[in-house]
Amino acid sequence: MALNANLLAAPVAAPLLTAALILLFARWGGRTLIRHQVALTALALCLNLGIVLTLFYGAAVQGRRFVLQFGNWTAPFGITAYGDGLSATLLLMTAIVALAVYPFAVATIDYHRARMGFHPLYLFLLMGVNGAFLSGDLFNLYVFFEVLLMASFVLLTIGAQPAQTNSGIRYVVLNLLASTVFLVAAGVAYGTLGSLNMAQIAERLPLAAPAVRTVFAGLLMVAFGSKAALFPLFFWLPASYHTPPPAVTALFGGLLTKVGIYTLFRSFTLFFPELLLSWQPALLTIAGATMLVGALGALAQPGIRRVLSFHIISHVGFILMGLAVALSGNSLAIGFGLGAAILYLCHHMIIKTALIMAGGAVELYMGSDRLASIGGLVTRQPLLAFLFFMASISLAGVPPFSGFVSKLSLLQITLDTHHWVVSGVSLFASLLTMINMMRLWRESFWGDYSRPSRVPSRILQSTIRQQLMLIPVGALVLLSLGLGIFGERAFNLTMRVAQHALDRDAYIEAVSPSTLHSSGLRSGAFNVTGPKFPDSSTHLFASLGEPPWPAR
Amino acid sequence: MTSLLLAIAVGSLFATGTYMIMRRGQIKLILGLALLSHGVNLLLFGSGKLTAGRPPIFLDKKHYTETLAAFQPADPLPQALILTAIVISFGITAFVIVLVNRRHTVTATDYVHGELVPLLREGDPFDFSEPSDIDQYDWLAYEVDEVYDSDDLPLGFPPTPQSEQDESAAMEEESYRWP
Amino acid sequence: MPELYLRLLNRILTPLLLLLAIYLLLRGHNLPGGGFIAGLMAAAAFELQILSRGHERVRRSIGPYLNSGIGLGLAIAICSGFAGLLNGVFFKGLWFDLHVPLLGELAVGTPVIFDLGVFLVVVSVATSYLLGLSRVSDSAAPNPDGAPSPELSDSFETDPTGVADDSRVRNKR
Repeated sequence: MALNANLLAAPVAAPLLTAALILLFARWGGRTLIRHQVALTALALCLNLGIVLTLFYGAAVQGRRFVLQFGNWTAPFGITAYGDGLSATLLLMTAIVALAVYPFAVATIDYHRARMGFHPLYLFLLMGVNGAFLSGDLFNLYVFFEVLLMASFVLLTIGAQPAQTNSGIRYVVLNLLASTVFLVAAGVAYGTLGSLNMAQIAERLPLAAPAVRTVFAGLLMVAFGSKAALFPLFFWLPASYHTPPPAVTALFGGLLTKVGIYTLFRSFTLFFPELLLSWQPALLTIAGATMLVGALGALAQPGIRRVLSFHIISHVGFILMGLAVALSGNSLAIGFGLGAAILYLCHHMIIKTALIMAGGAVELYMGSDRLASIGGLVTRQPLLAFLFFMASISLAGVPPFSGFVSKLSLLQITLDTHHWVVSGVSLFASLLTMINMMRLWRESFWGDYSRPSRVPSRILQSTIRQQLMLIPVGALVLLSLGLGIFGERAFNLTMRVAQHALDRDAYIEAVSPSTLHSSGLRSGAFNVTGPKFPDSSTHLFASLGEPPWPAR
Repeated sequence: MTSLLLAIAVGSLFATGTYMIMRRGQIKLILGLALLSHGVNLLLFGSGKLTAGRPPIFLDKKHYTETLAAFQPADPLPQALILTAIVISFGITAFVIVLVNRRHTVTATDYVHGELVPLLREGDPFDFSEPSDIDQYDWLAYEVDEVYDSDDLPLGFPPTPQSEQDESAAMEEESYRWP
Repeated sequence: MPELYLRLLNRILTPLLLLLAIYLLLRGHNLPGGGFIAGLMAAAAFELQILSRGHERVRRSIGPYLNSGIGLGLAIAICSGFAGLLNGVFFKGLWFDLHVPLLGELAVGTPVIFDLGVFLVVVSVATSYLLGLSRVSDSAAPNPDGAPSPELSDSFETDPTGVADDSRVRNKR
């Protein structure tokens, strides 16, 4: 099958077009119109999954790199979309998570929130996440970050309950600060390197002054680390994730921090791979602290979703640990750590979504999430108890599931590179995860049946809604089981994806061929001899000296 | 000289913005966010070449290479970036204003309270025996969606039951007065 | 009560602003202007309407079309990207020369259509935002008995009467 690079636009265009159609024809009207919205959204999610599967087959399995220059404007002038194995893997996981959460959302989102535009917002969020994975341009990455943030702001506060607005303000402000830092990084990149295209930045960074490299890397680390909820910058996450409806939390927990992790992967492997070695102690310290703080914080939390949201932080630490040792493979191959981290990322996206959905189902049945006051659900909902248990032990890393394979490979590489402390910390954090998961399960399913809520949960009185809630959880748990059983094959695939992502010369060659400077542009109307690179005497970063590459 | 002035302006905008964000009042928060975004816009502006009176626009499209060489127009990319950043910050500021206003109507206060205040107030964070109404589920309070089944409801927010409304607002106040 | 002068000005300025918006939209490809600015200009015209005639009337007349306007604008913008597929690449510009009587040659292309989509989105979003804010400011207006609004009081202790006032506002709604 001939795969066209135009396919890269489809994961962005399909959700956007569907959301536009929904907005066009839905006047927030009655029930039938909501049903049309649901049908259209489900159609778009399935379409997205199909497109992304095709892309995944081409990029990750066949190992091709897709580059789409929008409007045929070549690299530094137009907008570039880039898809390789890493982006395709994350796109696939995103599509799976979005499709899996959607039935749960349909079952549990009340009519009022659907009327306020829940379904188009869901698609806008998906579009932002897809665009962030595909963008090959720093400023465009910022724009897609903002798109997904905007959608997540509204999804977080839709319904406007007091707790939601409180947490919404924290979430908005902290994320805006991170975006501001990211924008500063983009400004520094343009001022010192003269381009925002990621391939050209990667090409020019080795020639730039060391101060520029450090400042740029530090700014990107702060911005992306804050999006990914790394150790000192994670406070927006536990402050907000327990307040929206559980479907929204499941979607956020599956998708949002993963965008930050993807950009960390991308920027470190593409822009400054040498920093992966020289900053390794710092990265490993952050990873260990993130793991420990997340797990210990979860231990102190009183509610189901609060515990789970602290666990998101803890597991981001595991993934960062894999990135930190990505280039220092000893007897194992170079890139083993990154491959393990990507596998862990896939496992985490699947199982965390399943767990939050199961926890949300418990909250809906109980009407409360306080672990101290609920209990005994196992007699009423044995299937839910079973699924929750399976998801918990998968998260903790018990053998038949995917958690075992990914944790084992991560531990193997950290032990092989003699990072004893951080591997000990990760083992301890895994133990704490196990304890926490068992605590959750025991408190909510064991004991005498007690349901503290005053409010009758009418959402759950139809069987079709209960089925819609449980089927995606079961499907995700099965997927995790499959990923664990076929762990070797999956790991080989992610290893190849990691090698692919670490090959920065191929990225640069694919996006902006090096003949660009000498022979001019292939198709654009501009024959630029003029002022593309800022004149170094008058701009803000003038003190950093003349750029070593020729002004075009 | 111009770049030094620009750097000072960027720095002072960032400083005032950060200071305003640190304060508890929400109007100040909005102002701080606006100042920060202006600071970033100025920084983006400074990342290009600073020219005066030479717009990057060619009326005569036939001879633009000569115009380019003779005229040295401004770098259009920072302007495009700033325009995009302004659009985005416009949207987000609009959202934050509406959010703060909504929060003000719902909780009748201008201040954001600390997330962990109730936990700290209870003393022992590991003591889960005593239920606290702060952690009660308020999003469940109107999941009763049959109530909203009719189409003639006005567009807007559903009424929260009066008792719960008072409780949560009072609870917020109490939690804030903690130390 | 809407101001008299404002109502007078409204009659003169609204058509002018809308015309200016369309002018900015059409000249936007080669000269300063474009969809975003034109959209803001048109939204300013609607804001003038809101200020002079009250937001209920404006909401009744254009409110139902705002969401559809956002959707239509987005659909138009993305479809102009799809049109580029005819030329091989997503978002590739296509240009036609149109002979329009009285105006002569007009170059119409997919960028102009994209701008039209942007215009529709911006005008709808900005107007619905302004309408929403005007409703909020109605409900947050100072109470007739002169109790200070808690939003304005800068002291650390918030006014305890704020809760009661707020509940009255909610009851009214």
